[in-house]
Amino acid sequence: MTNGMVFTIIGAALAALMAGIGSAKGVGLVGEAAAGVVSVDPSKFSKVLILQLLPGTQGLYGLLTAIILLSRVGIIGGSPAELTTSQGIAFLAASLPIAIVGLISAIFQGKTAAAGVGITAKKPEHNGKGIIMAAMVETYAILALLISILMIYNIAV
Amino acid sequence: MSTIKYANAVAAIRAMENTLLSRSDIEQLINCATKAEFENLIASKRGGEDFTLEGVWEMLRGYAPECKELEILLYKNDFHNLKAALKSKIAGKEPEGYYIRPTNLDLKELYPAVSAKEYEALPEYIRSTAEEAYELLTRTLDGQLADSLIDTAAMQAMRKAAEKCGSDFIKSYVELTIVCADIKTAYRCAKMKKQRSFLEMAICGSAELDKDTLVRAALGGAESVLSCVESSSYAEAAKLLAESPAQFEKWCDDVIMELAETARMQAFGAEPLAAYYIAAEAELKDIRILSVCRESGTDKETMTERMRKLYV
Repeated sequence: MTNGMVFTIIGAALAALMAGIGSAKGVGLVGEAAAGVVSVDPSKFSKVLILQLLPGTQGLYGLLTAIILLSRVGIIGGSPAELTTSQGIAFLAASLPIAIVGLISAIFQGKTAAAGVGITAKKPEHNGKGIIMAAMVETYAILALLISILMIYNIAV
Repeated sequence: MSTIKYANAVAAIRAMENTLLSRSDIEQLINCATKAEFENLIASKRGGEDFTLEGVWEMLRGYAPECKELEILLYKNDFHNLKAALKSKIAGKEPEGYYIRPTNLDLKELYPAVSAKEYEALPEYIRSTAEEAYELLTRTLDGQLADSLIDTAAMQAMRKAAEKCGSDFIKSYVELTIVCADIKTAYRCAKMKKQRSFLEMAICGSAELDKDTLVRAALGGAESVLSCVESSSYAEAAKLLAESPAQFEKWCDDVIMELAETARMQAFGAEPLAAYYIAAEAELKDIRILSVCRESGTDKETMTERMRKLYV
């Protein structure tokens, strides 16, 4: 295996790992808040569940980036490319936007969504506002995903 | 402190805040024609469940058992219970009827510990006060002096614990509690023409109204206390105290509630939990005032005037 391929695999691992950790933290935090509300008022379960799902998307973006990257270099598909060190470093760099932004945005989205759980608890009719506020954070994860994918597809193999 | 602490507890509290009484609920209670109507209205708001401070405390501790900030809210009750145990010991009575709940103290241990002078059985923050107060009480048999010593020690213990926990909200709560207690003590002592030694024991002092200034003012008479308070940022308190002690008491509760309201916007941390306890305390006080007013036939306007600010 070439050094280039090692860097690429590190990149794929970071994308899945860091974004996944961020999502786990975010979903966990909202879950804590959601459980608090459901312990008092179980009828709000479905409303708080939507908020809990929101920080989970970064983990999916990380997974998607890792799959695209591994498929691009032929690890998925059975014919791995002979990558140079520069190509490998380029793929590693390409995975960083979703890895780092995924980690951070999932945690912040978790905080916002957990605060949104408070809105749902107190004023269930304004639940949508809490969802919108948390969804705003998603924008930056999407932008990072987009740039990671664009880079992965445009690095010559 | 982590900024995302107590997410679970705060969310649960937010759901429970819906069962707290609002201003319109209080107005409805004031307008109730009969006692049964009054009680039914409260019961309907609670969904038939009991709402007591002890219950609120147990619930809060259930959600946040390790929250040290909450314990500070009960220091006043703890030190009151110490007074009850000490005085019961001196008078040879059972203290149970004089205890206030909730408390951080193990009430089964308190009286035996005080009786046997086994102060190490008490929490560290109350230990030395228990010893000093017992010694003072047995030496002087002056209950008022011992009360002053314990009250001041309670304030100092609250301040020490608040500084240790580092929460600005709790620090402000403690400062306001001290300011209110100090103004009240200085005014009463001035009216009763108390000596400097008593004043120095009874007044705790705060950043805005320091101990020496208040002691000097109290030695100069009630008017001097009022002008001293008037020159601070608590000028409104001086005006109300001059009008009526009841209005001043209401102001004390209202400034604490104004502080509690700042925690309404927080999604995490101990502050919303402490604020909920303060809110429950204020609400139960309002209901108590209303019940007493109804029994004594007080008019609706006076009842409205006496109502404390509410959290919801």
